[in-house]
Amino acid sequence: MHISDGILEPEWIFFWYAISILFIALGLRIINKRIKADPVYLPRLSLIGAVVFVISVWHIPVPVTGSSSHPVGTPLASIIIGPFAAVVISAIALFFQAFIAHGGLTTIGANTFSMGIVGAFGGYFVYRLLKNISPLWFAAGMAGLAGSMLTYMTTALQLALSLNPGDVMYYWKLYSLGFIPTQLPLAFAEFAFTAYVIKYISETSGMENIQPGCPLDRFTKTALVLMFSITSIIAIGAYIGYLGGANMAGTDSTVEGMAAPIASPGGIGVRLMSILGEPLGFALVGITGGLFTGYFWSELRRKN
Amino acid sequence: MLKWLTSDPLNGIIITITFFISVIIGRYLRIKRVAPGNKGKLIDPRIKILFLFILIISITFMKHWYFPIGITVICTLFALKSKIFQNFTRKMIFPVILAFFIVVIQGLTYGTNKIYYGIPLYTEGLDSGSLILARMIAAASLAIHLLSNTPENEITETMRWYRVPGTMLDISSLMSRYVKTFSTEAKKMKWAQESRCSFSKRSGFGEKMHDVASITGALITRALVRAELVYRAMLSRGWKHDQGFASHQPLNRNDLFMGFVFASGIMILLGIDRML
Repeated sequence: MHISDGILEPEWIFFWYAISILFIALGLRIINKRIKADPVYLPRLSLIGAVVFVISVWHIPVPVTGSSSHPVGTPLASIIIGPFAAVVISAIALFFQAFIAHGGLTTIGANTFSMGIVGAFGGYFVYRLLKNISPLWFAAGMAGLAGSMLTYMTTALQLALSLNPGDVMYYWKLYSLGFIPTQLPLAFAEFAFTAYVIKYISETSGMENIQPGCPLDRFTKTALVLMFSITSIIAIGAYIGYLGGANMAGTDSTVEGMAAPIASPGGIGVRLMSILGEPLGFALVGITGGLFTGYFWSELRRKN
Repeated sequence: MLKWLTSDPLNGIIITITFFISVIIGRYLRIKRVAPGNKGKLIDPRIKILFLFILIISITFMKHWYFPIGITVICTLFALKSKIFQNFTRKMIFPVILAFFIVVIQGLTYGTNKIYYGIPLYTEGLDSGSLILARMIAAASLAIHLLSNTPENEITETMRWYRVPGTMLDISSLMSRYVKTFSTEAKKMKWAQESRCSFSKRSGFGEKMHDVASITGALITRALVRAELVYRAMLSRGWKHDQGFASHQPLNRNDLFMGFVFASGIMILLGIDRML
């Protein structure tokens, strides 16, 4: 995921630096407050920083994107020390990695944004969301998986914005798909790794940010297995399609040919998509449908 | 025969003046380098880091591939001279591979003017890809050079002079120490686990991840306890968070002159790149 020097255009270098500096400043404020209250917080933080450095330095080159794939480690760090502190330590880790030609000095801002900010906050958000409804290991694992995938989606966006400003959406998809063959297995590895590490730490030492979670029921397990399976099938299918020259056009032409003639041009679906755009529109449809199905599931089963 | 002397003298004058001024500067630099009391440092690390950072940013502004390539060649020659060539080339492998991938992908996908070399390629993509390749390897070679010639603690202390927050520097100095300890301890623990039949070739993905994660988890929990004890010992011996290690000497006139020369050099290089 580390973008090297010389890839991003100067305006994007400054843009990502500006955003990252804001988060680093906030993180430093929080860290300084914590150190005043508990001086031993400093070595704990540095230790987790060393863990992030070691985890994120194992990299595999990714042919399509001109970047690399590796576990990110920031979701694990954000669970142990909090997301703002994770931003600061990931910036420091990236600074050191720049000197071993992994990443770059001018791209620390962009890399901190993807790995430190999006990876840490995304992972932490997922962890907090799942912690109270699932076992601790599962919440931590999902944080690792989500943090890892979000980091790479962000890197793909950063590359598309800087290298191909004329057609950002197409190249974002292209770079994201380029990461899939290496990053998808690594994200699952990060799921297992984060889950085991947090489980181990929670069983052997009482760290304040890590509290036991809840067991996972059968319904949730089935839903998650289905979600993983379907997402993987779609991702692999899209990748195979891209290799076969499908150009990631999706099913638009099929839909237009079969459904459009009988669809009302002023219908709510058409209007929603034109207002929100496709990704947000589909997300809204997914959320509404999911909430409705989940809410009435037990009742529907009882009736059947 | 003597036409070169009697016709336009401008080129001759320019080359003579620049040559002899360079001779004088070169001799001065050599004298300074071998002078007693000089520890082999030609440039103050504060100037060196600032110069490097400005140069890398300038490289990203460059529109022609040959300037970054020139910088890479100079860095390679310096690596040969400093006897760090093997280390330098080993670290350069990864950025060079990535850069070549970018050229290929840009050449295959980006642009409108197609040319055929067995496969269809886009000229715009090849141009932008080769520029990115040149920039990437130039920036990487500069960064590798800096680390090879400057100790880590010197870089950290220089950052303190540039008013980088003390907390960040304290974290980074502790981090660099922990990274080394971590790697050594992790290796030992892996050997210990292997001798107890872990990491077997027969074990599946889940078991392997369990082994790796149990080492990491054990390392983190052990190291947390150890790091806290060591840190308390440091505090009891008068170490203070954010105090710095040594007071810096102010920059002397020679260092400032060198900084000015380097900055002007970068500006001129950037100017030429833009004018061409």
